[in-house]
Amino acid sequence: MVMKSSVEDDDVGWGLGVPEKMRNNANWVDITHEFKGACKGLSNGSVFSRFGLFEAMSAIEMMDPKMDAGMIGNQVNRKVLNFEQAVKDGAIRVRDLSLPELIGIMDTCFCCLITWLEGHSLAQTVFTCLYVHNPDLIEDPALKAFTLGILKVCDIAREKVNKAAVFEEEDFQAMTYGFKMANNVTDLRVTGMLKDVEDELQRRVKVHAYYCLHHPLTCELTTGHQQCLALFSRIKFTRLLLTALIAFTKKETSSVSEAQKLMQQAADLLPALRSSIEHGIQSQNDTTKGDHPIMMGFEPLVNQRLLPPTFPRYAKIIKREEMVNYFSKLIDRIKTVCEIINTTNLHGILDFFCEFSEQSPCVLSRSLLQTTFLIDNKKVFGTQPMQDMIKDALRYFVSPPVLSSKCCLYNNHQAKDYIDSFVAHCSRPFCSLIQIHGHNRARQRDKLGHILEEFATLQDEAEKVDAALHSLLMKLEPQRQHLACLGTWILYHNLRIMIQYLLSGFELELYSMHEYYYIYWYLSEFLYAWLMSTLSRADSSQMAEERLLEEQQKGRSSKKTKKKKKARPLSREITMSQAYQNMCAGMYKTMIALDMDGKVRKPQFELDSEQVRYEHRFAPFNSVVTPPPVHYVQFKEMSDLKKYSPPPQSADLYMAASKHFQQAKLILENVPSPDPEVNRILKVAKPNIVVMKLLAGGHKKETKVLPEFDFSTHKYFPVVKII
Amino acid sequence: SISFIEDFSDFGQGELSSYSSRACQNLESLLNKNMRIRMTDGRTLVGLFLCTDRDCNIILGSAQEFLKSSDSFSQGEPRVLGLAMIPGHHVVSIEVESDSLVSKQGFGSNH
Repeated sequence: MVMKSSVEDDDVGWGLGVPEKMRNNANWVDITHEFKGACKGLSNGSVFSRFGLFEAMSAIEMMDPKMDAGMIGNQVNRKVLNFEQAVKDGAIRVRDLSLPELIGIMDTCFCCLITWLEGHSLAQTVFTCLYVHNPDLIEDPALKAFTLGILKVCDIAREKVNKAAVFEEEDFQAMTYGFKMANNVTDLRVTGMLKDVEDELQRRVKVHAYYCLHHPLTCELTTGHQQCLALFSRIKFTRLLLTALIAFTKKETSSVSEAQKLMQQAADLLPALRSSIEHGIQSQNDTTKGDHPIMMGFEPLVNQRLLPPTFPRYAKIIKREEMVNYFSKLIDRIKTVCEIINTTNLHGILDFFCEFSEQSPCVLSRSLLQTTFLIDNKKVFGTQPMQDMIKDALRYFVSPPVLSSKCCLYNNHQAKDYIDSFVAHCSRPFCSLIQIHGHNRARQRDKLGHILEEFATLQDEAEKVDAALHSLLMKLEPQRQHLACLGTWILYHNLRIMIQYLLSGFELELYSMHEYYYIYWYLSEFLYAWLMSTLSRADSSQMAEERLLEEQQKGRSSKKTKKKKKARPLSREITMSQAYQNMCAGMYKTMIALDMDGKVRKPQFELDSEQVRYEHRFAPFNSVVTPPPVHYVQFKEMSDLKKYSPPPQSADLYMAASKHFQQAKLILENVPSPDPEVNRILKVAKPNIVVMKLLAGGHKKETKVLPEFDFSTHKYFPVVKII
Repeated sequence: SISFIEDFSDFGQGELSSYSSRACQNLESLLNKNMRIRMTDGRTLVGLFLCTDRDCNIILGSAQEFLKSSDSFSQGEPRVLGLAMIPGHHVVSIEVESDSLVSKQGFGSNH
């Protein structure tokens, strides 16, 4: 409900009624002279009312070019016209545009679209193109269809990003400023219009080619032909992009495959786009203020007054030369997103999201991944309820008897209640976890820290349900156990989150060198140790169930089942965890040794406290019950080298580190079908083995130059370089 | 609420100090009232008078910017600025609403 203000002028946003006061001159009294005089009498003081700190922080100084956005409009000599005015003035044309003009305008529009997708406002990107303000006024069919297409692309992209909700202000500007996004035309109509233009252009190209074939001497050097093709490619590219995005709005998973095909077709057009950029007209330099060049049909200042006062003045639109590269990468990302429908188990999906996130993808592709996974009705891919996926994940990971059809608990009413209730409670945290993996890397870390609280609650519940199910099972099937099945699964996810949280601190360059040792310690001596035991407990649980099933089947089938040595489902994960643990242990011991040799720069100020830093780094872990957080004093005790006699010297630690890197190398070299991650770690382990051996031998021990840590090969494990 | 700071080095200069305190009172009486200021580049700001100093630098709250009426397409629609400071040397004219002028001895007493 809007409060009725005392002014009826509803055109003014907040009904302050000031314009009315503006126009009504009778009310205003000029006091300039007296005021200035009174000011002079203030000597060195001032007169002020109260205003808050927040307001003061966002205050702007008028007539200061850096702060006063309204100033620019006063300083450029050209008239800033909007679309309708520009058409009336004859400053831009809506018909009889030449091919180079069309190509130039379209390419600039593409660049604006990309700049918007990279986080700038619509007002300073796409809507600096005057044509998109009112496509109805455009008479050129190609430009008309194109601008409608661009508007539709923006509209769908914006809708997807908003719905997925995996963006923050640094990723994306969702505001539309009340701009019309072709809502009066249907998506189908726009794709139809684009197709019509395409067909017409294709006809022209064919006619021209036919002419050239029969009149090779009189045929011109086919610049017109090339330009026609260039325009055709752009129109088709727009149509394919739009149709793919439309496919993403459909609920069926079959439309995802369709989108993938369309994206491939769009990718096939990119070489044609790239080679024809030169045909487009270029922007002209605005000679008035040495400002940014102005492209025909574009006015960077047209929306200036819509922007908040402290907004940066110009969004830097990407260059046309970079346009095709960007589209190429965007299309690759979207094609990858489409692959998600091929993964059907929860853990696989989580891994997919994690891997996808690691390449720091754009907000649009992240959003498409989210909305493809969990469609409106909150079902996975629109078909499977999350709870069924969770049950499948439990079966795959830890084979809990309660979920096995061969177990009496499966149909036990009370057991079903327990497990269904637990799984229902798991649904939201896991959906949140998947959504967290859709955020940008920095925000992800932060949110991972927070979700540990929810998982701690789940952990608690898991333990209770396990206990209840176990006691039930003891009564009904004494040879079976339900010990810590659910608890193990939740613990596994807890540990994954904690490990990801700590490791991402390296990626985001949050830690100082003198902190590396306790981060790597926590990972290798604590978190990975727990993870290893959790994974092997899950493995044992699986094996116990399998043995039981085999025994049950032994009686029935007379055929001797072939004893096929199948790889255990968790074996790869166990192997990788071992490798990671060794890498972390190697780094931990390296840092301790370097510190012993005085090669780690530490803060030296009076109020410094390592404990405060330590507690801050591991603060999110305080809400976790299992594993219990290791507090500073405890950490110091556990990591105290003096408990060994004799206590190790730096040389011993370098050797130990070298052995850890060696161990990691051995483990990874035996991994069947190694993926890029395995190779990345090997590229770090191998040089580190050598460096540690050198350091153990006293190499450069006297030098004061600090070692360098090169994270360019692997973002979590650096190659240690001694200068 | 209103506050006032004065540099005490000028204290006790008889006539000057009584003039300045009267000037202060007049200025104080305008605090939080609507003020319209025309700037050197032709723009007009309207907002609540919050602060000024000896150099006539003025701070307006909830300020709105109006372009010259001869401007291309704004048609008098204001741009919202929030808290804005106008440097004294860019102030061309200062106006307040006649209702704001209470005192007969204060501003606008000649109007």
